[in-house]
Amino acid sequence: MKKLKDYLPWICYFVFFLGILLVNPGTHYIHLVARVIIFSLYAVAFNLLYGTTGLVSFGHALFYGIGAYITGMLVKATGPEYFLLFIVLGAAGAAFVSFFIGLLTLRLTGIYFTMLTLAFAQLAWGLTFKLYHFTGGDDGIQAIAKPAMLTGGVTKYYLFSFVVVAICMYILWRIRRSPFGSVLNCIRQNPQRITFLGLNVYKNQLKAFVISAFFAGVAGGLYAGLDGSIHPDMLHWPTSGNAILMATIGGMGTFFGPVIGAGILTGLEEIVGKYTEYWSFSIGVVVLIVVLLFPRGVLGIKRLAGNKNKEEKETEVVCNS
Amino acid sequence: MKHKLISLLLILAVLAPLTALYGAETIKIGALYTMTGRGGQYGKDSEVAIKIALDEVNAKGLPGGAKLEVIITDDKNPQYAVSVAKRYITDEKCKFLFGIISTGIGLAVTEVSKEYKVILVGTDHAGTDLTANKFQKYYFRTSNNTFQSMMAGAYYLKDEVKNWKKIAYIGPDYAYGRDQLMELKWGLDKLGVKYEVVGEYWPKLYEPDYTSYITAIIKAAPDILVNGMWGGDTVSFIKQAKPYGLFNKMKYFHVDAGGNYEALAALGADMPEGIIMSARHHNNWPETPANKAYIQKFYKAAGRYPSYAAEGAYVGIHVIAEAIRKVGNANDTEALVKAMEGMKIQTPEDPPGFTSYIDPKTHQIVQVQAIGITVKNDKFPPAKYMLGNFKVYPADKLWPSFEYIDYMTKVKGK
Repeated sequence: MKKLKDYLPWICYFVFFLGILLVNPGTHYIHLVARVIIFSLYAVAFNLLYGTTGLVSFGHALFYGIGAYITGMLVKATGPEYFLLFIVLGAAGAAFVSFFIGLLTLRLTGIYFTMLTLAFAQLAWGLTFKLYHFTGGDDGIQAIAKPAMLTGGVTKYYLFSFVVVAICMYILWRIRRSPFGSVLNCIRQNPQRITFLGLNVYKNQLKAFVISAFFAGVAGGLYAGLDGSIHPDMLHWPTSGNAILMATIGGMGTFFGPVIGAGILTGLEEIVGKYTEYWSFSIGVVVLIVVLLFPRGVLGIKRLAGNKNKEEKETEVVCNS
Repeated sequence: MKHKLISLLLILAVLAPLTALYGAETIKIGALYTMTGRGGQYGKDSEVAIKIALDEVNAKGLPGGAKLEVIITDDKNPQYAVSVAKRYITDEKCKFLFGIISTGIGLAVTEVSKEYKVILVGTDHAGTDLTANKFQKYYFRTSNNTFQSMMAGAYYLKDEVKNWKKIAYIGPDYAYGRDQLMELKWGLDKLGVKYEVVGEYWPKLYEPDYTSYITAIIKAAPDILVNGMWGGDTVSFIKQAKPYGLFNKMKYFHVDAGGNYEALAALGADMPEGIIMSARHHNNWPETPANKAYIQKFYKAAGRYPSYAAEGAYVGIHVIAEAIRKVGNANDTEALVKAMEGMKIQTPEDPPGFTSYIDPKTHQIVQVQAIGITVKNDKFPPAKYMLGNFKVYPADKLWPSFEYIDYMTKVKGK
């Protein structure tokens, strides 16, 4: 029974995202939900740092953007036959860069870490903007083809994204529940104790940083295929801010919270944006409501009464033992 | 029996117009404009012009009593614009995509237009790519591209400005700014003008302080400073450069967006006299009844005079309406494309004896370019200076230039 409860969010996840195909709300809404799927991977990957490890990176757009640009540029250079391989290479590129950035930024904590990640991301954004003949500058790169088996109707790419994202989400879920995940949780709650336990905080944070960047890169690569175009905005700070918003709105203390956050943010942009250009005002209102009334996010509401879930209790036992 | 038949016919005669009325189609156009922030004025002006054009088109009538309707959304960034464009096509069943201020967004949305085979009418973004190396058959543009401005500029520099050799360039550090310099240089080379570029300066878009660039430009001492900025950047640069006496030390040349009414109005009495400028539409040129009527209508609707973005939108709606009239409906996209190719359309900026037309090969509107200098003129308040002493360059000398398209394709790729 407990086992079933553990897997309930997964069942909901599959039922919702596959069920939507059966309902068939039309091409536009399938495309919209495909965006939610991809953003949810970006947000869940980010939340491995934010919600689990307690590191607020304000530069995650960098890794999302690297994934998108490597995938897009490789497709443009060689054709779309090895699209999946290019997504993996894009993610590997993001992980590679994150290793060096992590080496430097993780020496700092709190707001200093946040500001330094922002600085690196803005630097990359500036370079993408300036390297006009290499990255296309602010015009970006268009007409990124998809392999033949994924063209013709958005449903095929929707399913492809869903499968890739589901695999990545499962890996991230297992990481979070592994002993390594518990260490990350402990780092958030009590880093000194981790040191006393004989573990290295910095190394574990670096591992989490690289893993998180890898999956953010996968999300970027997938998005390059969905829209068929990439542009420097993907590396700009609002994209980093979106990850924080998705995780905060959905519930940073939960694994699936950012998925809900991605849905809310994309939905608001879509629904309110239809009626007014000041749609971002609605996001501000939602964030205010969430922060003031449900500081644990939408998925954290059920724990308002102070009940801690199994995962939290286990972490607490590990950290305090 | 005979009576019954007559009654039936009478009923049918009464009902027929009613059915036609209820069956009248609404043809939706999905527009994307920057409605907020520094470029927001361009979107707001376009919105007013669209309303004016819609009233004119719907009053004149379309086949089958159809009406045009335009939905406008703030485009924000390419990612969001692509999503909205797809929603317009698949959910809102729009027959046309329309508008767009930024070339970056235009390039992203033209791919949607190509994929879904829906016509995109670009009304303001000026990146030449869209009607050159990135051309696709469902894309049309109803305002000029930067090449047309800069080629006219090259003619102006060759014929109207004497005793110069050294130029310096300052422009925003992104494709729009970079392309203008590339195009001017290509044009000058093509015309056999000998010149030397003594400095290139690339501030970022929306940079607040140009002091270091201004002092560097004065130090480089060019004969002519070419500026490729637009909007608020033009205003800031001119305001900051004036106290340094930059405009007395060299000729100032700013021909794609410098003379936009938005900048003339914002600078008011601060605008230096005698600097060389142009824009994609002028409120005081040509002094034709069509241009005057358009400007008066705009003023009546908005309480202000239009920037050039408005004219592109105004013409765009008329081009769509004319294509629907030719084809008889808005459902046959291929026929609409054919109808738009080579279409002649009288626009407010057409001088007497000339009618703008859409080049069938590149789908770029071909228009004359008028370059002037700033002169005192307070007929269009709050502007205190407008452009005057116009030199007019024939449309067919400026576009299409397949030689340049080949060059651009080589430099920037397909």
